Amino acid sequence: MTVLVTGGSKCGKSHFAEMLFSGFEGRKLYIATMQPYGEEAFEAIERHRKLRSGKGFETIEKYTDIDEINLPESCGILLECMANLCANEMFKDGEPVDPTDKILCGFRHLKSRAKLLVIVTNEVGNDGVVYEKGTAKYIEAMGEINRRTAELADRVVECVYGIPVPLKGELP
Amino acid sequence: MIMITGGAFQGKTEYAKQRFGFSDDDILNGGSCDFEAIFSAKCVTGYHLFIKRLLEKNADAQEFTRWLCREDPDAVVIINEIGAGIIPLEKSERIWREETGRAGCIIAENSREVIRLVCGIPVKIKG
Repeated sequence: MTVLVTGGSKCGKSHFAEMLFSGFEGRKLYIATMQPYGEEAFEAIERHRKLRSGKGFETIEKYTDIDEINLPESCGILLECMANLCANEMFKDGEPVDPTDKILCGFRHLKSRAKLLVIVTNEVGNDGVVYEKGTAKYIEAMGEINRRTAELADRVVECVYGIPVPLKGELP
Repeated sequence: MIMITGGAFQGKTEYAKQRFGFSDDDILNGGSCDFEAIFSAKCVTGYHLFIKRLLEKNADAQEFTRWLCREDPDAVVIINEIGAGIIPLEKSERIWREETGRAGCIIAENSREVIRLVCGIPVKIKG
């Protein structure tokens, strides 16, 4: 099963995503896409590590190229998060490149190996602010990635202030 | 508690007035009210703005929110969704956005009902 978990900032996405693995038997892999740059990133990573500790995840840090990860068959995969992955792919060489096809290819790779795949993504286009070109392109790319992964996912859930709201299928 | 959320100008306050029969005087504005007044409010709107004011006073917004949930358990709290955009460049804005997320999770947990307004349409997401 593939589940896409979306929502805004600090709305309980990670907590919900991790909960989906509580009864999972087999290897559980956590793909971390956030690059540890800056104090706030360190704090966020530390917080997520604490949240995850004792839950039996093996952590793989992969900031780009998720299609290259060597994965065991029938594993559980939690990828967190798509918004970082998208930014990393898009801006790694300075000039923004369209990351959507590459990320979707990576997504299909994970989906083909996982018994349970949970992707945490982010809503980034709902603040009504008009941004300069690079950021506008990023919002557009995130919109496309979210639409395309949602189409391929079995379930889509949006977290709103800690409450999981089903958007596609029933709540997993 | 009852929590009403959604984006800006989606009809949250209007919904609270219609459903609970609040007058304008019953509704406290979180962006400008007295800090003490919130503990006896029937309804507070703009709680995300209240959080911003708490942070400006270096108060612990999560601790304050838990306190509010204990002291005023029958209140109707209206709070915008502000975290579904680009991470702000300004650090204080980032902290506000994240603290609003966390405080909102506390209110939702303590609410018997949570309603989200989208284009004026109430969608019950809890209770």
